[in-house]
Amino acid sequence: MQLVDAELQESRQVLPGQWLQQYHAPALAVSARAGQFVHVRTGDWSGLVLRRPFTINTADPATGAISLHFREVGRGTAWLTRLRPGERIDMLGPLGQGFQVDSRSRHLLLVAGGLGIADLRLLVDEALRDGRQVVLLYGCRDASEVYPSSLLPDEVEYLVATDDGSVGHHGFVTDLVLDYEAWADQAFACGPLPMLRTLAGLVAGRKGRLGVATLGRKRGRGRPIPLGSPAARKKAFLQVAMEQNMGCAVGACLGCVIWGVNGPQRVCREGPVFAFDEIDWEATAGAATHKR
Amino acid sequence: MKAKKRVVTYGKGVPPSRRAASGPAPKTHRTPTVRTIRSAIVEPKPAPPPRPASPAAGRIGPPVAGPARSAVDLSVDLGRGLVLRNPILVASGTFGYGVEYADVVDIQRIGAICCKGTTLRPRQGNRPPRVTETPGGMLNSIGLQNPGVDAVLDRYAAQWAGWQVPVIVNVAGESIEDYVGVVRKLDLVPGIAGVELNISCPNVGKGGLQFAIDQEAAAAVTRAVRRATELPLIVKLSPNVADIRPIAAAIAAAGADALSAVNTLSGMALRADRTGPFLGNTYGGLSGPAIKPVALRIVYEVAQVVDIPVIAIGGVTGLDDVLDYLAAGAVAVQVGTAIFADPTLPVRLVDQLAAECGRRGLASYEPLIGTALPTRPNAASAKGVEYRP
Repeated sequence: MQLVDAELQESRQVLPGQWLQQYHAPALAVSARAGQFVHVRTGDWSGLVLRRPFTINTADPATGAISLHFREVGRGTAWLTRLRPGERIDMLGPLGQGFQVDSRSRHLLLVAGGLGIADLRLLVDEALRDGRQVVLLYGCRDASEVYPSSLLPDEVEYLVATDDGSVGHHGFVTDLVLDYEAWADQAFACGPLPMLRTLAGLVAGRKGRLGVATLGRKRGRGRPIPLGSPAARKKAFLQVAMEQNMGCAVGACLGCVIWGVNGPQRVCREGPVFAFDEIDWEATAGAATHKR
Repeated sequence: MKAKKRVVTYGKGVPPSRRAASGPAPKTHRTPTVRTIRSAIVEPKPAPPPRPASPAAGRIGPPVAGPARSAVDLSVDLGRGLVLRNPILVASGTFGYGVEYADVVDIQRIGAICCKGTTLRPRQGNRPPRVTETPGGMLNSIGLQNPGVDAVLDRYAAQWAGWQVPVIVNVAGESIEDYVGVVRKLDLVPGIAGVELNISCPNVGKGGLQFAIDQEAAAAVTRAVRRATELPLIVKLSPNVADIRPIAAAIAAAGADALSAVNTLSGMALRADRTGPFLGNTYGGLSGPAIKPVALRIVYEVAQVVDIPVIAIGGVTGLDDVLDYLAAGAVAVQVGTAIFADPTLPVRLVDQLAAECGRRGLASYEPLIGTALPTRPNAASAKGVEYRP
């Protein structure tokens, strides 16, 4: 974790209201792992007192560039969209625990709902670099919000589901999961809470029969793996990236908790990536999320 | 068992110079385990951190002659020997236990760290969501999530004892017995420089009425804690009262060494679709620049009715805010919400305050304190709330 002065290199609107910005921040590009995030300080001229957390969309250690993909939802993100290339902003990062990929996993199933693609995009790059096969299932409202395949590497198998059926599967993205769950060694998801909850429900019903969790269990058999440890997350088949309103993003203020089966879990420190079985979905679904 | 364990951790944590003075050096041929136990047995119980009755005790403001580290002396005596190297503290709840920001901030340069509110038993806190941004500020309703005083001491006390920066433990409870219970456990533990009482908690014994808004309860809890410990005792005032002065005076008379003002203002926010309150706990505490005028008024009022040091809290985001609070009668300030956006702010404020004193040709910042207070003892603002909209 460090404070970095990042220079905006490129900023463009890739989808209506959604922006992709590339920053030059070599320290972050080198150390960032898929699923981690940065805490960005916005201009404080308008009474904004908190930083904004953004997942690291892509990171290129060779060029020192990282990119952020976000939707303009309030004054903080609106301020970001008005930045010009060459301007510098203050980022704190990389923060949080990233996705845990088992070294034995060959087939990764990625499930993204809307902007949740931003959390999984770097995982696509890392997986392909490590010679794994990736299937990306993407769900959104209609054709206008479909993530452009030009932003994805060619090697990815990319399937789309839209709520109105204007492109791809007519229905929820979770409907597509059934075709791939047996193929996948591990699954990773990010998106709206109902989607994650549905996925968690699907996986919970088949616990122990999916993915690498079923492979070689000889070593360490019977030894309990503490919930929330990297080893437990690798074994859990499904990992989800969660979001919550955030204060400090370093674990000090306890503001960004979600309810886990073992009590409150800080999204900024224990997360943002959790195994599906760490989260108390009933309690988490009860609390509405609020967009700034 | 608990006490013995802590002595062991202290034996490992003290700097070599002090350990050499307090007992024979452990023999090197022993196994590590035996050596640790041995040192705990033969060494006399280490003296608590130096807390002598300083000649300046009882006087408000920085001592005239102190150990000057630079050209400008920023040290401040908060009473009972709690002497800080500078008057910039970090507020409880915004800096965790001091370890969270250690990667990006030189925490040893801060005047003192007030740690997250600590209770007798572990608390899970309120349901999420717990924070949201508001114009010029933020609302939080963490609900005092903490692992309990025993776990806090186990995890952090040994580390704190090795730090230059004093750690003041913020204590919360739901009854006087809770407060006293926590403070008894903190007493004489190396690494604990003082106690800050968060009295903005519902008093279960009085039907949930907050200690902070009830003059008798506030004085009673202060008196009970005073009897339980020799640690420097700071009481944190709530702004959610009609008139703070009688409460502040009662707490000072009950034996507090210093007051900190203010805690968060009670507030709320709605969901985006306006179907109900946004925060899981409905109500939250407002902090940030939005509350600075309120905090400034309360510091101004309190500084006139008590003769113990006042520590200002509320929306400090720059040197101007520090100078404002000093002028209103505070001897030190705590930085809170601003840390989230700007973690290095407290350390920069220390440098900026020293530079400002240097620019004005001052050897200490004492002349900056109380310059805005009324000069006549019976000035209008000293008598009552003159706010007439």
